[in-house]
Amino acid sequence: MPVEHSQPILSVKGVSKRFGGLMAVSEVGFDVAKGEILAIIGPNGAGKTTLFGLISGFIRPDMGSVRLKGHEIVGMAPHKIVRMGLTRSFQIVQVFADMTVLEAVTAAALVRKPMREAVRKAEEVLERIGLSAIRNESPASLSLQDKKMLEVAKCVATDPELILLDEVMAGLTLAEAELPLAIIRDLRDSGITFVMVEHVMPIVMKTADRLLVLNFGQKIADAPPAEILSNQAVRDAYFGEEMPHA
Amino acid sequence: MKPEFFTLLRSPAIWLVLAFAATMPLWLPPYYLGIGVLTLIYIAMALSWNIVGGLGGQISLAHSLFLGVGAVFTSALLLKFGINMWVGMLISAALAAIMGVGIAWVDFRFKLGHLSFALITLAFAEIGELVVLGWDFLGGASGLYLPSDKGDLLAFQFGGAKGYFWLALVIAAGCFLVNFAIINSPLGYYLRAIRDNENAAQAVGVALLRNKAIAMAISAALTAIIGTAYARYVAFVDPYLFASPAVVIEVVLIATIGGLGTPFGPMVAALLLVPFGELIRGNFGGVAPGLHYLVYGVLIVVVILSMPRGLVPRIMDVMARRRAS
Repeated sequence: MPVEHSQPILSVKGVSKRFGGLMAVSEVGFDVAKGEILAIIGPNGAGKTTLFGLISGFIRPDMGSVRLKGHEIVGMAPHKIVRMGLTRSFQIVQVFADMTVLEAVTAAALVRKPMREAVRKAEEVLERIGLSAIRNESPASLSLQDKKMLEVAKCVATDPELILLDEVMAGLTLAEAELPLAIIRDLRDSGITFVMVEHVMPIVMKTADRLLVLNFGQKIADAPPAEILSNQAVRDAYFGEEMPHA
Repeated sequence: MKPEFFTLLRSPAIWLVLAFAATMPLWLPPYYLGIGVLTLIYIAMALSWNIVGGLGGQISLAHSLFLGVGAVFTSALLLKFGINMWVGMLISAALAAIMGVGIAWVDFRFKLGHLSFALITLAFAEIGELVVLGWDFLGGASGLYLPSDKGDLLAFQFGGAKGYFWLALVIAAGCFLVNFAIINSPLGYYLRAIRDNENAAQAVGVALLRNKAIAMAISAALTAIIGTAYARYVAFVDPYLFASPAVVIEVVLIATIGGLGTPFGPMVAALLLVPFGELIRGNFGGVAPGLHYLVYGVLIVVVILSMPRGLVPRIMDVMARRRAS
């Protein structure tokens, strides 16, 4: 799908966050165009998940600006940001343990729809994501892959324009990752923009339109995958001597 | 609202049970009728607490404040200012709802965890008891005596155990309906999502403060209404009963033994335990006062160890498994 080059759907400018003596995120800025898949990569502790927290309203930045569709969202509560069209998944899967899969996705769909329509919407989303067969299971009893797809389903049920995915493919084999990848591409083709934190480099290289590399809380590169591979700073910080095989 | 709510309303079984319960004052001996009134009051208290404690997962011990407002404040309004108890009950329900919203705000503002929430609400309850004990307007330590009951409905007088049984039945049925309505509405989904995982709930658009405050306000208002009815029934507003956290701790134990989250758990547990506790107290109260608390204590240990989700969810699981096999 061609990327639109009008106003960015998300614009992050000079965002910083310090935890005590640790500068977790330092003056990071980037734009995301509508329909784009941006992958954020970086070594452990580089600040990727903190950056997601800053964008989605769970952590308040010390400074900087985050604009969603042109509106400043710094200081807004997470649920209000969801209502504006930005939702997120969590690195450590956060299930609603005492609900069924259908109920968990219905809870998400209720953000925009009344009760009966929300149940219908949840059923549609589960069908689309391929979780219909386990709609009455408890999320706690699901496989890791299904739990991760349930995270995606909850995000999609809120009718978002932008989804932040935090390592939804971590822990999956490359073969297992094929299904979530196909679903993400399908969702992107239906107009949803993605920003994803991912560690599995072959997946990142195959999926992302653009890569943003963080190291020690700072942005060290922001370019298409092919350019990132030849970036010396990235090689030093992230890949070491070993090049990833895309 | 999900269709399940209307299915329940159309269920003949529910109406048959209610109709049968409504006949009980006509044939139960007075002693057992008294136990019946108390059981219905505990069912109502357990169900109204379940909105916050069971659905919202917040172990609130502040409900003695709301019970106290309904019982003590309403009675004080009647005795000191001559305000009709119906009006007083509504004023108290509104006041309790406002206090509930205040507690929800404190919880949200200071991001209290489960343990901190329980301790803070216990502290509020203790402060409430001290205020009642130390303030003459509310009767102080000697309590308040309500005028004798002449059966004048307009004055919130129901004329003896029969009348109070029917009143308590209406309140308990109302609390059950409110629980069931919440479970089948967006608020129920939001509360369960918040209970299971606050971050995940926010990430799908659930507003923490708004939903916790609504749940607390509904629960507090219902508890205050129960407080007024209970106080009028016993006619003596004992601060050590109505303003002490002891009753609420008992309600929490009953609801936990029954199983939180559905209306059936707290209801069934109160239905079993309150008459059982009263019979123990009636028969052994002279030689072993407080024995029924010991029984609750042992039961809660047994239930938590053998069926952590409570009695009713366990029974429902077993029935579902039997149906499946």
